[in-house]
Amino acid sequence: MKKSGNTLKENLSAYAFLSPWIIGVILFTGGPIIVSFLLSLTKWNLLGQPEFVGLENYKFMFSGESDFANSLKVTILYTVISVCSSVIMSLFLAVLLNFKVKYISLFQFFYFIPAVMPSVVMAFVFKLMFNKELGIVNYMLTFIGIDNPPNWLSDNFWIWPTLAVASIFTYATGQMMLIFNSSLKEVPKELYEACDIEGANFLQRFFHVTLPSISPIILFNTVVATINSFNSSFTLIYPLTGGGPGNATQVLSLSIYENAFKLFDMGYASALAVVLFVIVGIITAFQFRLSKNWVHYD
Amino acid sequence: MGYSQTKNKQERSRKILQYSILIIVAIFMMFPILWIFSNSLKTLNGISQYPPKLIPDNPQFQNYVEVIKNSNTLIYLKNSIILIVGNTIGTLLSSAIVAYPLARMNFKGVNAIFAIILATMMVPTVTTIIPQFLLFRQLGWLDSFLPLIIPSFFAYPYNVFLFRQFFKTIPKSIDESAMIDGCTRWQVFTKILVPISKPIFITVGVLSAVYWWNELFTPLIFIDSENLKPLTVGALTSFKVQGATNLTAWNLQMAMAMIMAIPPMILYLFASRFLVEGVKTSGLKD
Repeated sequence: MKKSGNTLKENLSAYAFLSPWIIGVILFTGGPIIVSFLLSLTKWNLLGQPEFVGLENYKFMFSGESDFANSLKVTILYTVISVCSSVIMSLFLAVLLNFKVKYISLFQFFYFIPAVMPSVVMAFVFKLMFNKELGIVNYMLTFIGIDNPPNWLSDNFWIWPTLAVASIFTYATGQMMLIFNSSLKEVPKELYEACDIEGANFLQRFFHVTLPSISPIILFNTVVATINSFNSSFTLIYPLTGGGPGNATQVLSLSIYENAFKLFDMGYASALAVVLFVIVGIITAFQFRLSKNWVHYD
Repeated sequence: MGYSQTKNKQERSRKILQYSILIIVAIFMMFPILWIFSNSLKTLNGISQYPPKLIPDNPQFQNYVEVIKNSNTLIYLKNSIILIVGNTIGTLLSSAIVAYPLARMNFKGVNAIFAIILATMMVPTVTTIIPQFLLFRQLGWLDSFLPLIIPSFFAYPYNVFLFRQFFKTIPKSIDESAMIDGCTRWQVFTKILVPISKPIFITVGVLSAVYWWNELFTPLIFIDSENLKPLTVGALTSFKVQGATNLTAWNLQMAMAMIMAIPPMILYLFASRFLVEGVKTSGLKD
């Protein structure tokens, strides 16, 4: 009897500790998702009452008239590009920071600082650097003999490499760099010693020892980068391209923003939010299956 | 003797190679910031000068004076600081409290709760923003700091996750012996765990500060008044370049960018050793 009393008390106090999060989930995550779904079945411009229209918003979304197919395509493209460039770059930086040389914390400062810059600031400077006429990037390209360098920010194709570079300088990269950095230090020394005895070179060591040892962290970071790309796409793309050129970088988050807060089409914007949520949900489910490789639940 | 000499020579050329790579990458990573600084000191003509110059002919420090004097910069700055302080307090309080039972108590549903936290970590703000907007409108909170600060007091999943990872690395026996001595769970948390968890508090605090220095999306939606905008929104609208050919604001925009770049740098210098310590990955590995 005593024991179960204790367990009850322990359970109650645990949930008391958890209560801020429980309230937060209901108010800011779970509740809004349900409300979004209900709103997506209506037509509403914030004035008066929402008008029930059934699946009209979804019908329009999947019809040829909407911009949805394009938004979906560029969202996926942006996610893949930003995840790849930020994961690879952060791993590369972390490997460099594990060199056994002096002044390594100075280099860590240089590598991490761009990550803590506001994306707005980075967007400003990238606009200047990638400017067709004034930009330092094109100047350097002509300097090495490329006579007709691209107009990065106004070209449907070249905007993507620009975004890939911009993704390197986002917060996600710095955050992952720290995580990789600390996990690289935990790779067992004996494995490297065994490598040295067998005379393996740097790349062999990296691919046969380092990568397998940190593979759960790579998976973890890829998941984190995916979340970050959904969250940061607005903050980076809105000031950098505004969704352009044309609608070439009109990712779903930008679409939702414009439909909801510029055009006040709350119903359609909610439908887009629901679809984005479903996409994220699928990725989450997928991530959960993979997470068995990196999470201890105990 | 000969062997150790070749060994030394090998070692030295390896060091030189390593330093060269480190330096080249450092220049690459720092270049945008250098470029901001360089252009913030140029005249308008200096910016459109071709070829571009890294060191401006005649450094225009008055660009900074102009940015601070001619726009609402100081008001924006004050607003950014209010957001940072409010959110950091909220985040640290709520995330640490919520993470405690997840890391250190055995209770019914712990696995399910942790799974939901991981799942909600994935939900992007943009998918829930419309109902949040309606909620805050209903509460009469629009165009105030409340919708930007209050949610922090209800624990963001990612920060809870970081706290949990850290708390898990502290031996549980500390809690047990304190409880045998008559401490409640709350006392264990406030008197024992919080004081020894300085690195994670600083880490999450810095991450939160940087996040709110950076945040653009929610202030853009919830704030209308000019005198409540944070720097990100202010900078976005103050130096708007109209069309690709109108370059009037580049140098001032870069000065503004530089002003926004300095606080995170100082914060990083102050917190770097905690940042490295605070990121625990041991609990993520099999």
